[in-house]
Amino acid sequence: MQSSLGGSEPRLEGRLRLAGGFVLLVFAIFGLRLFQLQVVEGDELRRRSEENSIRTLRLQAPRGEILDREGRVLATTRPAWELQVVPSALDQPERTWAVLGELVAEEPTVLSARLDGAGGVRHRPVSIVDDLDFDSLSRVETHRHALPGVVTDVQPRRHYLEGSLAAHLLGTIGEVRPAQLAQERFGDYAPGDVVGQTGLESLLESHLRGSDGGRNVVVDVAGRVVEVLDEVQPVPGGRAVLTLDLDLQRAAEAAFEPAEGQDPPMGALVALDVHSGDVLALVSRPAYDPNRFVGGIDAESWKALTEDEWKPLQNRAIQTHYPPGSTHKAIVGLALLEAGTVTPETTAYCPGFFRHGRRTYRCWKRSGHGTVDLHDALKESCDVYFYTYGVQLGIDRIAEFARSFGLGRPTGMALPGEAPGLVPTSDWKARRFGEPWYPGETVSASIGQGYNLYTTAQLAVSYAALGNGGKVMKPRLLIRLESHDGELLEQRSPELLSRIQGSPENLQRVLSGLTAVVEEQGGTGGRARVPGLRVAGKTGTAQVVRLTTVEGLEDEEIPIRFRDHAWFGALAPAEAPRIVVAAFVEHGLHGSSAAAPIARAVLAVWHEKQGGGTGQVAGAKP
Amino acid sequence: MISIDRRSFQNFDWMLLSLASIVLAMGFATLYSAASPGAATALPSEFKRQLVALGVGGVAFAVALVVDYRRLERWGPAVYVLSLLLLASTLALAPITRGNRSWLVYGSLSFQPAEIAKLGLVIMLARHFASRGPLELRRIRDLIPAGLITALPVVIIILQRDLGVAVLTLLVAASFLPFARIPLRAWMGLSLVGVAAGAAVWRFGLRDYQRSRILDFIDPSRDPLSSGYQAIQSKIAIGSGGIFGKGYLEGTQTQLQFLPTQHSDFIFAVVGEEWGFLGCTLLLGCYLALLLWGLVVASNSKDTFGTLLAVGLVGMLFWPAAINVAMVLGLAPVIGVPLPLVSYGGSHLLASLIALGLLMNVSMRRYVF
Repeated sequence: MQSSLGGSEPRLEGRLRLAGGFVLLVFAIFGLRLFQLQVVEGDELRRRSEENSIRTLRLQAPRGEILDREGRVLATTRPAWELQVVPSALDQPERTWAVLGELVAEEPTVLSARLDGAGGVRHRPVSIVDDLDFDSLSRVETHRHALPGVVTDVQPRRHYLEGSLAAHLLGTIGEVRPAQLAQERFGDYAPGDVVGQTGLESLLESHLRGSDGGRNVVVDVAGRVVEVLDEVQPVPGGRAVLTLDLDLQRAAEAAFEPAEGQDPPMGALVALDVHSGDVLALVSRPAYDPNRFVGGIDAESWKALTEDEWKPLQNRAIQTHYPPGSTHKAIVGLALLEAGTVTPETTAYCPGFFRHGRRTYRCWKRSGHGTVDLHDALKESCDVYFYTYGVQLGIDRIAEFARSFGLGRPTGMALPGEAPGLVPTSDWKARRFGEPWYPGETVSASIGQGYNLYTTAQLAVSYAALGNGGKVMKPRLLIRLESHDGELLEQRSPELLSRIQGSPENLQRVLSGLTAVVEEQGGTGGRARVPGLRVAGKTGTAQVVRLTTVEGLEDEEIPIRFRDHAWFGALAPAEAPRIVVAAFVEHGLHGSSAAAPIARAVLAVWHEKQGGGTGQVAGAKP
Repeated sequence: MISIDRRSFQNFDWMLLSLASIVLAMGFATLYSAASPGAATALPSEFKRQLVALGVGGVAFAVALVVDYRRLERWGPAVYVLSLLLLASTLALAPITRGNRSWLVYGSLSFQPAEIAKLGLVIMLARHFASRGPLELRRIRDLIPAGLITALPVVIIILQRDLGVAVLTLLVAASFLPFARIPLRAWMGLSLVGVAAGAAVWRFGLRDYQRSRILDFIDPSRDPLSSGYQAIQSKIAIGSGGIFGKGYLEGTQTQLQFLPTQHSDFIFAVVGEEWGFLGCTLLLGCYLALLLWGLVVASNSKDTFGTLLAVGLVGMLFWPAAINVAMVLGLAPVIGVPLPLVSYGGSHLLASLIALGLLMNVSMRRYVF
């Protein structure tokens, strides 16, 4: 360094020399290190570079388990043997493929095509068969010494123990898609990583995923590991404890199994704890086996699933909304009472039809119900009663009331793609169609026909509010999240969304009407009866096409897609409801015959679990 | 406003410019090799982007050169506050990438304001110490104002969850410390105690996962396994270059992409593989000469502000370079710090070029008074 030409103080000058000395020292160390690496160890390191013998093997983290509320496993991770090939170590490809084909009983060309399709770096193992059965594995292991470049490795693999049970709720996993990799939330994913694609697998991705570990190893020319340099253990994904009750879920799934010689019913079921909003069962049919998505679903099955007319991938319980039919009467009934349009003593005369303006609206019972009050009208599902007073109340008041039940907006259970449903108002119609609301439309809306659309989950939430004193609960799917070794990470509490306006007396009146539906002679829901348990419920049959299209046809003659939808909303025990079941059968024809028995199956198992046989509770009230 | 008299130009610092040009040229040549694996025909996109950054940086360099640095003494606070505002804007505007939110993104352009904040900090600190007179600082507590000046940007950078850059910024600020009059003994005592305590806590006071979390916090993109892999491959790449190297574009480690970040943090390994011991020595030699020459500039400056500014600028180049090379040579853990003027990355190239411009600015006005 030169001496100070300028004005820096001598003291600064000294410090500058010191700084220079420090910089020089650091660079001298670098020089020595370079000499050591490049000159002293140069030959050895060059040899290593030519062998390219160091690899990073990924240790995939096992995905976290999904358990039901009693700790029973719904989805787990099991070890699966993978057959891999290291392209750079493959010295006789033809022979290797031929032998491998023999060992795992597949076409050699199919196997080699998987390698060609993989791309990537030549020294990384490529998976050829991702879930070897034990026999194939033993054969490969016996011959592996003669197959350079062929390695086997155990990998964790997702396994859904119950097959298609609760498939839509649990969801599917699959390789992360290129479009996802571009998104921020997938910032730390690499191509080929597995990610939850639908349902809870997607919702809980960050919790279930865990973090991968890996191993830096030295391999020989045949791709075999000869030395482990260092290793980072994978951290398994966390556990999720669901609110689901496997027993009720099984019962619900079984109830959707077709009777001998019949088409499998399509539809959905949602069972909730009325007070906590816990989702005890959630079914969507038709379903699929999520195990088929693990390791990548084959193109043919995928095509079949996506092109199926009845859309098996859709979660009908939350993603599809339908006209609620007469299940809506429970809501309208409460609205009529609350608004003072009717009292419990108010009656209407049902001759089997209702005239409004120049149109005539039929009651489902052609011969008419005669004189009915609200109790009878609910029990026998009399349309004319609701036509009469619904028109008096007006569509906007009905809608306001329906909305307070959480209808017309997603229930908020956080699963992706939840349909909002629809609660029509005159404003809505003006916006949507640019037309005024016609009073005649209120007639249909009073019995849940017309524009109204609800999901099965929404029906369950609204009925739960009828049964729990007016609380609109957010359906809760998760009880808690735990780490893989059982440490509690997060507890989810029940969430109250809002309260409906409804006096305890009026709620009780509606509930008693609903109880009559099931428990009294002449009610439409008799097929939901469970010995020893008093059930309240409401049937619903939602027209799919104009009556004239199917006029005069017997049920079996109607083409499936023209058949009516069947609903049943049930609460039990009727005296103080604890569970709500909403059952929906798409094109199931009648709520009373198609949907009520399905709800019943769940209620029966629930009752049994509560310790009731034909218990005394029922005996008290004949 | 812009004062360039003839004398300034007569004193143009060709030495500094030549050394910087050699380093830059080697950097670009290596980047081309590192970013074009195999036999790519088109210019690699990283290379093109870096050329654009060089163009922008060149203009900034020229501006930093012509505006008399002594004006910066007056503008210091304004520059400092502006750079802080720019830095703070990331907290509101920047998306989270690779675990931190330190980049401002506009379309395909992204920019890391922390680099500019370092410049603002250096100017502000130089001004502060020059105004107090560094020799007035006799006690540790005299450093409190300087500590506050440093703390502001560092805290924002920590809030961005970019502790690596925060540590780097602290080191740059610490470059000024030896120029205070606080006795060396006090410093040595203090740092010895600090280092010993830190090491003891690290070794005995923390569990594995806690250590791992701290390292993750320092460098969010860190993945212990890939760090280990990179460290091994980096040593192999450098060592396999031997004395003469494998030749330009011939590095097998490089061309087979064994190093995931070979064009950014590990670019020096590519130099080592392709150009060998000779190439590395040349590059590091030029770097060393550049840094020492910067200290000469500091020494030659007529005013204390110029001296301290030059010191800070040298610190800005020295610390990341030292950490980066130490990491690539396997002497330090793998943390994502780029090699200034060489690694891929527009923001720090721009900041480095401005630093060089200011350094030359100080240098060519050494006689002007």
